[in-house]
Amino acid sequence: MINNNKKPFSVPIGLIPTPFFERLTKLSPAKSWTNWSGYLSPNYLDTVELEYFAIRNQASIFDISPMHKYRIKGPDTLNVINRLITRDIRKIRNGRVTYAMWCDEDGMIVDDGTLFRVNDQEVLLCCQESQYSWLIDASLENDVVILDESRIIAALSLQGPTSFSILKDAGFLNVESLKPYDFTEIEPGIFLSRTGFTGDLGYEIWIKNEEALILWDRLWAAGKKWGIRAIGFEALNIARIEAGFVAVGVDFQSTHKSMRLNRGRTPIEMGYRRLVDFNKGHFNGRRELLKREKMGPKYSLVKIDIGGFKPASDSMIYHKKKREVGYVTSGVWSPTTKRNIGFAELKSPFGITKFDDLWTEIYVKTEGKWKRHMVPVSIITNPFFKSSRAIATPPGIF
Amino acid sequence: MTNTNNHDFDVIIIGAGHNGLCAGATLARKGKKILVLERSKVLGGMARTEELIPGVRISRIAHLIYNLNEQVAKELEIGAGQGSFQLKKIPTVSLALNKKHVIIENGVPSFSNGEKHPDSESYALLYQKLSRYGKLLSKLATISPPMANGASFNLNSLKELFKLAKLGINLKFLGTKDLREFLRIIFSNSYDVILDEIQDGPLAGALAADAVRGSWSGPRSPGSLFSLIYRLSNGQDAAIPVNGMGSLAETLINLVEHKNMEVRTGIEIHRVLIVNDAVAGVILRDGTTITARSVLSCIGVKKSMLLAGVNHFDIETVKRVNNIRSRGSTAKVNLVLKEPFKIDGLTDKQAAGRLLVAPSVEAVEAAFNSLKYGNVSPNPIIEVVIPSFTDKTLCSNGNHVLSAIMQFVPYDLRAGWGKEERDKLSQLLIDTMEKYIPGLKSLVIHTDVLSPHDIEQITGAPGGHWHHQEISFDQLLTTRPAVGISKYSFGIKGYYLCGSSAHPGGDVMGAAGRNSALQLIADGVFNDKQ
Repeated sequence: MINNNKKPFSVPIGLIPTPFFERLTKLSPAKSWTNWSGYLSPNYLDTVELEYFAIRNQASIFDISPMHKYRIKGPDTLNVINRLITRDIRKIRNGRVTYAMWCDEDGMIVDDGTLFRVNDQEVLLCCQESQYSWLIDASLENDVVILDESRIIAALSLQGPTSFSILKDAGFLNVESLKPYDFTEIEPGIFLSRTGFTGDLGYEIWIKNEEALILWDRLWAAGKKWGIRAIGFEALNIARIEAGFVAVGVDFQSTHKSMRLNRGRTPIEMGYRRLVDFNKGHFNGRRELLKREKMGPKYSLVKIDIGGFKPASDSMIYHKKKREVGYVTSGVWSPTTKRNIGFAELKSPFGITKFDDLWTEIYVKTEGKWKRHMVPVSIITNPFFKSSRAIATPPGIF
Repeated sequence: MTNTNNHDFDVIIIGAGHNGLCAGATLARKGKKILVLERSKVLGGMARTEELIPGVRISRIAHLIYNLNEQVAKELEIGAGQGSFQLKKIPTVSLALNKKHVIIENGVPSFSNGEKHPDSESYALLYQKLSRYGKLLSKLATISPPMANGASFNLNSLKELFKLAKLGINLKFLGTKDLREFLRIIFSNSYDVILDEIQDGPLAGALAADAVRGSWSGPRSPGSLFSLIYRLSNGQDAAIPVNGMGSLAETLINLVEHKNMEVRTGIEIHRVLIVNDAVAGVILRDGTTITARSVLSCIGVKKSMLLAGVNHFDIETVKRVNNIRSRGSTAKVNLVLKEPFKIDGLTDKQAAGRLLVAPSVEAVEAAFNSLKYGNVSPNPIIEVVIPSFTDKTLCSNGNHVLSAIMQFVPYDLRAGWGKEERDKLSQLLIDTMEKYIPGLKSLVIHTDVLSPHDIEQITGAPGGHWHHQEISFDQLLTTRPAVGISKYSFGIKGYYLCGSSAHPGGDVMGAAGRNSALQLIADGVFNDKQ
């Protein structure tokens, strides 16, 4: 095509700014940006440690605008959602949010995300990977419309003990009655949900792109005395592992993104049997999941405690220090629990019936010299981090 | 009779097309209690005999049999010399305007005036070669397609593997030269292969027309040679069934009716009943519920899916089914004539043959061009039979019927399918045939035009497609009707596809129905205590 106007095309080249970028870049001495779904997103703005402790001790603000956001509307909305996800959307009340996974025909996870049930004929879906074409496929022969609002809705995640106080001081009314996993249109055009990826008290706020900066400034002004701090991906990652949340592309691979055989994992293998409702009628992958349930899982994703303090991401796990039985999918030193924690994927029967004598290999370089350590790995069933402030309603003032 | 486990029937079959009835007969012979439900008042689906006007009976849609599977015929006792089903072989005549028509009988061409055809040797060689390959591949027709994924090993999969291995061995026995030739041409187009061997004209045109009949492709389309091979897989000349195509359905019913198979016509199904992800029967339009342990559907895949409810199927399956290519390209026109006629240059026996208007391979390709743009070619490719010349019982009062399959008539005609367009089509047939049968126009007392749309309405065949869906490499074997549903089993436990959409597909062949029935048994649907 010939560009007669001599103006550059409006298609942006390279990563594009989110609606909050103007504010973020001023707060970022580190200038460490990463690619999140084509957007400029901070790894960290200042230092990871300060940002992490803001999540746990003050309040953190994280720009989640790059998340994919879809609106499913129409008489068959609940049917379409129920044929998509493994749990039963009919059991979720209007005005509630739920975490869900969805599978391909082989029962392998495509992606996970949160569903916002607006009413019987409208559901919002928020997830990490692009799902537009998959939703279109899921809605074939059903009376719904699928709207991709990923690029028109901006979102912020406000997390930490003082997050409630900030919302209150920013002038939002009736936030205290919001229970975990509730959502509401708190002011015209501003949607608030009590959700997050940190396991702490926290909220997510959804707003049109054009009004994004007004919201930011409002929160920022109210947050000053409550220690608000903008954070990047790395601090959040520590918090999400502590909270026990899995991440697509890290702890499991989207079956739509993997070309090789046997890269997919079922929700049951991921430890989410409770999210699979075999009694709700047909859903995608149900028949294969039933077959696999009889055969038993081939893998299991477990929470682990690793000896020492060196994070063990991607390290192999051995049984009796010899036989390779899995690897660490996410590993991090947890500042709050003072433990070396992570997720590991183990081959059956490890993590299912066998739990003992597991070791991981850690390489340490000290002043130019590599050393290999075998450190013990123990499987944890309790959450790493759990705080009563996260679920208290009304939330406390800290 | 088996214990139907408190169900009304063991199996309900949706559609009394020939495949549905072959499935029913196969199961009834194994002692299962069968109910066949047909929406129309007439049996046979596309293979139907109807009374057009009083005293005039006709094979209203399909009019010839040339690909009835030998194995199926043997098993169901409808083969040569068995039962009441009788076939009369007829020659093929490729019409020429210069009245030097080409007669093809038993794979050998000659001119109607007795002259030797210059290409008779090369044609015979080509025909033999293609039939040989067809025969080999026909072994595949009577087994379920192998599963592409790592299906668990059991006795059944081993049996299938064994049959496939046998095919491999047979291919090997072709010899190096023939095997190489087979592999060279199998994916080729018919245009190239035909014209490599014989010069263009009515003889080559006849082959090209046979290669594309019923399909949305021209002789130059890739894979069109395969459909020719497929058609020749029984290596037989076309045959007219006595009492019309519907006699196949009649015969199948009469063979087993007194035993286990019941057929009800004029019954419309509202939906397939599903309980706990297994079929439990059907609910009729009038609200009646009939229970069964299994339901076989020989209507199109999409319709079968909608009857059960789309949300019982995986997302991928629905998408694949929506993407099946099944646009019809073939119309049927029946002309009732007040008296018989003669064709210049043909004996009575020849005139009773399969008359083709396919002047050349080029002409077939040119006619296909119009189809691409949603139009009917002014020079259509036509297959005409006058069944009443062969079977005198079909018409009384001296009437005859000219039964014509008109190729390259679009399902989605640009102008839409109104009365005017239908009339134009019959006029086009009359005008075209008038060139070969002077005075035809004055003989016509009644016309019956079935556009692909009408064929879909009458039979339920998706798009009015002759084979329910294109026979092409992406819709064959493990990918027929679509990936993941090639083993007849259609997602829901006990729900099976048994029509032309399933392997091995189209023509009046009977294999899809019979295979589906056997797969049902192999899958152990009747073994479970419910």
